[in-house]
Amino acid sequence: MTAAPIETARVWLVVALTLLGLFFSFVSMVGVLRLPDVYSRAHTASQADTLGAGFGLAAVALTVGLAGAGFKSVLLLFFIFVTNPTAAHAIARAAFEEGIVPWIEGDDRR
Amino acid sequence: MADAGPPSGDDDPDADGSPDAAAASDADAATESASAGAVIVPVEPSSTLRSTIAHVAEAAAADGAAAIHLVEIASWRNGDPESDERAAAAERVLERAAAWANADLDDSEAPGAADVEVVTAVLGADGYLFGADDYVRVLAEYAEANGADRVVLDPEYTPVGNTTLLQPLEFGLSNTSLSVETAPVDRPTRRERFRTEATTGRFVALFGLSLAFYLLLGDPTYWFDVVTGVATAAVVSITLSRVSLDSNPAFPRTPMRIVRGVIYVPVLLFEIVKANLVVARVILDPRLPIDPTLNRMRVIVGSGLPLMTLANSITLTPGTLTVRARDSDLYVHSLVPWAREGLFDGPLERWTRFVYYGRRAARLPSPRERDDVAILQGDDATEELPIAAADGGDPGSGVESESGDGASVEAESTADPTDADEVTDR
Repeated sequence: MTAAPIETARVWLVVALTLLGLFFSFVSMVGVLRLPDVYSRAHTASQADTLGAGFGLAAVALTVGLAGAGFKSVLLLFFIFVTNPTAAHAIARAAFEEGIVPWIEGDDRR
Repeated sequence: MADAGPPSGDDDPDADGSPDAAAASDADAATESASAGAVIVPVEPSSTLRSTIAHVAEAAAADGAAAIHLVEIASWRNGDPESDERAAAAERVLERAAAWANADLDDSEAPGAADVEVVTAVLGADGYLFGADDYVRVLAEYAEANGADRVVLDPEYTPVGNTTLLQPLEFGLSNTSLSVETAPVDRPTRRERFRTEATTGRFVALFGLSLAFYLLLGDPTYWFDVVTGVATAAVVSITLSRVSLDSNPAFPRTPMRIVRGVIYVPVLLFEIVKANLVVARVILDPRLPIDPTLNRMRVIVGSGLPLMTLANSITLTPGTLTVRARDSDLYVHSLVPWAREGLFDGPLERWTRFVYYGRRAARLPSPRERDDVAILQGDDATEELPIAAADGGDPGSGVESESGDGASVEAESTADPTDADEVTDR
């Protein structure tokens, strides 16, 4: 009976982390739909990966335990943190090189 | 550094020169020796540098070239932390190369050999150079200033440890008025000491790192994983040690950087969470109160890995997105004024300097205090937006390397008239 409260706390923590991950992924999706141009959309696309995937992977690590597979999910998070901004930068740079002017307030293309 | 030693030795100057060089020397012979322009040789420690210089010296002596310019393209920017050491190392390489060139000219018995001047120079130390396009621009400017008309590339020339650079560099140079050739020298089967010295540390570091990673995923106590791990790490470090790391690890600098990097991670995570909450609020707000602008910020962090760390940190933080890195400037798109102000206050820049150079370097003034920032759009704009192709693009303007940007040249020349429509319907 002694381990039960810790076990319960862990389950609730996993649920909380998953919900947080879902929330940030949802915000990111809304952002991609609502924001006006390629540059501002790239902002929120990277948001999904950082905190959305971040909280998701934290939940995974907590579920499977930090030894073994949990450690790999930390490595995965590190991988995302390196590749995700690189991809966002590549998209933004490509748009810039194509001469796409970033949308500003008062611009009528939307 | 001119060398006028008496010709000696018994090398035939044309014996292993390139067809081009041989043909040129036939035409000009010794009569018009002074008319041939100077030759530029980009220098970097490589296994074929010695034979490239031998080839250049012979060809120059035979053609009667005015001078051999040995140039090193800087991988640092003057005034940055640790730039002095890098500059000193470059000077040593250049001195060594110049000594070789002078010795070869002494040994040559071609009549023009005594008139060939050997000049060394460091180029591009006043900004960060990012790729072949920047190298082409720097080389072309130097050639113009010094009356050089030819560039000879060392086949293993790999500045900033980027092994894929030679091909685009050759391509970029062929778009300028310079004639370019790769020195026809054999690549050695064994590595010369000069190069080995320069890369052993990198090799060992990358080998250790990839082996550790492999065993982390596998089982370090199982012999099969250990054997395959060693084989994999060997392949990785042989092929990539010069690509992945651009300088040797050093004690105590490298461990200190890792420790300070570990300190930086929670700081970055905190910044990310903070910015995420602000951006989430903006996005979920029904009025969508965004005010995006493109901004320019001149950064002081050092070329290569530190700059990449800063650019990636900026992009990871929601609300700011690194669009372009050019010269010493980062072009950063910001979603809301809050993110822009945070960027200009420079906490990420300061932390990046802390990670790579320690606490003292971190204490430089913020970009705003240095007046190194500019807003490029909107009501508060302080500078013009540097998008050339904004109104449909002018395919002709990009052909000259003046724009200093091979990549945008490529983009512009492939752009078609529909470009303008694309801009407007976004």
